[in-house]
Amino acid sequence: MSFLDFFVVFCFLGGVVCSAVVALHPNILYAAVALIGSLLAVAGVYASLGADFLAAAQLIIYVGGVIVVILFAVMMSESIYKRRFLDGVKKMFLPTILSIALMLGMFKLLVSTNWGELRIPNYENTTIRIGQALTGPYALIFEYVAIVLLFGLIGAIVVARPNILKKDQDGGNS
Amino acid sequence: MSLAEFLSGLNDFIPPNVPFFVFSIAAAVIVILGFAMPIGGICTYIERKVAADFQERIGPNRVGPFGILQFFADGIKMFLKEDTATKNADMFIYNLAPGLVTAGALGAFAAIPFSKYVIGADLDIGIFYVMALASLVSLGILLGAWSSENKWSLLGGMRGAAQIVSYEIPLGIALLSVVVVSGQMSMIKIVDGQAWLGSGSFWYIFHNPFLFLNFFVYFVAALAECNRTPFDLPEAESELVSGFNTEFSGMRFGLYALAEFADVIMFACVAAAIFLGGWHLPFVNIENIHLGWSLAGKSLDPLIQTLFMILIFLGKASVIVFVVMWLRWTLPRLRVDQLMDLCWKYLIPIAFFNLVGASLWVWIFKGQSMIELISGMMGAG
Repeated sequence: MSFLDFFVVFCFLGGVVCSAVVALHPNILYAAVALIGSLLAVAGVYASLGADFLAAAQLIIYVGGVIVVILFAVMMSESIYKRRFLDGVKKMFLPTILSIALMLGMFKLLVSTNWGELRIPNYENTTIRIGQALTGPYALIFEYVAIVLLFGLIGAIVVARPNILKKDQDGGNS
Repeated sequence: MSLAEFLSGLNDFIPPNVPFFVFSIAAAVIVILGFAMPIGGICTYIERKVAADFQERIGPNRVGPFGILQFFADGIKMFLKEDTATKNADMFIYNLAPGLVTAGALGAFAAIPFSKYVIGADLDIGIFYVMALASLVSLGILLGAWSSENKWSLLGGMRGAAQIVSYEIPLGIALLSVVVVSGQMSMIKIVDGQAWLGSGSFWYIFHNPFLFLNFFVYFVAALAECNRTPFDLPEAESELVSGFNTEFSGMRFGLYALAEFADVIMFACVAAAIFLGGWHLPFVNIENIHLGWSLAGKSLDPLIQTLFMILIFLGKASVIVFVVMWLRWTLPRLRVDQLMDLCWKYLIPIAFFNLVGASLWVWIFKGQSMIELISGMMGAG
C-alpha cells in the first residue's frame, strides 16, 4: 500500500465518518465542527486526484469562509445544548428514503461504469488550464455566476441595513 | 529540489528502501521543530527586549547573559503550569481549538522558500496554499473563544473571526497582483523572477508603481490577519481582559502565543519572498558566485550559496518582523468600526485599483519593469 493509497482511504473514511456526524449529531455546533472535517477530507480527495488548485480553493472558500459564517450563525443561536434539531422520527423519514434512493443510484453508476485501467493521476500544473477555461469556453457562465454573487451581496446589504437608512431620514427631517 | 528529496538523496548512503513519505514527514518535522517553534520562542524574547528599548527599560536580564534564556524559562513554566478550564467549558472543542490555530500557522511554512533548495514543498499553487492554510487560524480563534464559556472570550473571538475574514480579501488581491506580473504561483519561480540578471529585472516591489502601493496594502492586511497592534482588537487588554485566549492556561495558551508569532513570521517571509526578492540581492546574483572551495573532491559552492540565500532571506524577513514590533509600541488601537471602514472602504478599493493597474502595466509595457524602461530610454538616448 503506497502512501497515496493510504491517504485516499484515510480521506474517504474521514469524510464518511464526519458526514455521518454532521447528519446525526444532536448538537448543531458539533455538527458544524464535523463539517470542517468532511470538507477537509473532500479537499484531500481533490489533492490526491492532482487537482491542487481545487483543493486549495476548497480550503480557502469553504473551510476559511463558509464554515466561519456557519459558526457565527450557530453561536448566535440560543441554547445550543438543549436544542435537538433532529426532533422526532417523522422528520427523518423522507430524508432517509431520499438518501437511500440517491445511494442506490450512485451504486448503480459505480457498477455500470467502465472504469478502464486505473492509473496514477498526472500531477501537472492545472492552474493555467483552469484560467484558460474560465476566460475562454466558460467565460459567459463565469460572468453569470459572478453577477449572481454580486446580487447576493447587494441583497444581503439591503436586508441588513433598513434601520440605519430610516434613522438617517429621521435625522434629516428633524 | 525540496527538503524531502534532499533527505532521500542522503539515504543513498544508508541501507535500504525507506519509502519517500517517511522523508516528507521528516522534512515537515525538521521545518516545524527546527525552525518555526524555536523562532517563535525566540521572538517572544526579542519582542520583550524591543518593547523595553522603546520604553527605555532594560527588559528581561536575569536568565542567562542579557536574559537570553528567558524564553526557555517561559517554555518550562508553560509546560509545568496546571491546565485549567472553566466549569462549563465544552472540553472537546476547547482541546481542539489551539491545535487548529497551530496547524494553520505552521502548515503554511511548507511552502515558504528559505532558499532555492530549502523548501518544504514547491507547489504549483504556492501562494494560494499559504493563503488557504492561513485562513484556518480564524476557525481556531472562533471555536476556542466560544468553547471557553466566557463573554470576554466570545467577544474577542467574534471580533477576530470578522477581522480575519475581512482582511483576507485585500491580502489576497495584493498577492494576486504579483501573480499577474510574474505569471506564476509557485514560490520558487516567483522569487527567481526577481533575480538580478544584469538586464534590470528586480524585486517586484519596484516593478511598477501599483505593486509598490500593493506592498503596503499587503503589509497592513497582514498585520490585521495576525491580530497585531494596531489591529489587536480580538485580544484588546484594556477592554476584553485578554480576548479570545482569556481562559486558556499552560501550554494551550502557549500554543496560541506561538501560533501568533508563527503567523507574523510566516507573513513576513511571504512578503520577503513575493515583494522583496526572496534570497536575491540587488546588483549581484548569488548563483553566479563561485568560491571554488571543495571538500573531498566535492565542490562546496552549492552549500555556501544555500547558506547565504537562507541568511539573506531570513534577514529580510526579520527586518519586517522588527517593523511589526516597532508599530506595536507606536500606534494606538483602532475601534471596531474604524477597522471595518479601513478594510472595506479603503484597502479593498485601493487593492483592486492596483490589481487593474498592474494588469494594464503588464499589457502595455509587455511585462517590463520600471527599471528596464528607464535603462532602455537611457540606452536609446
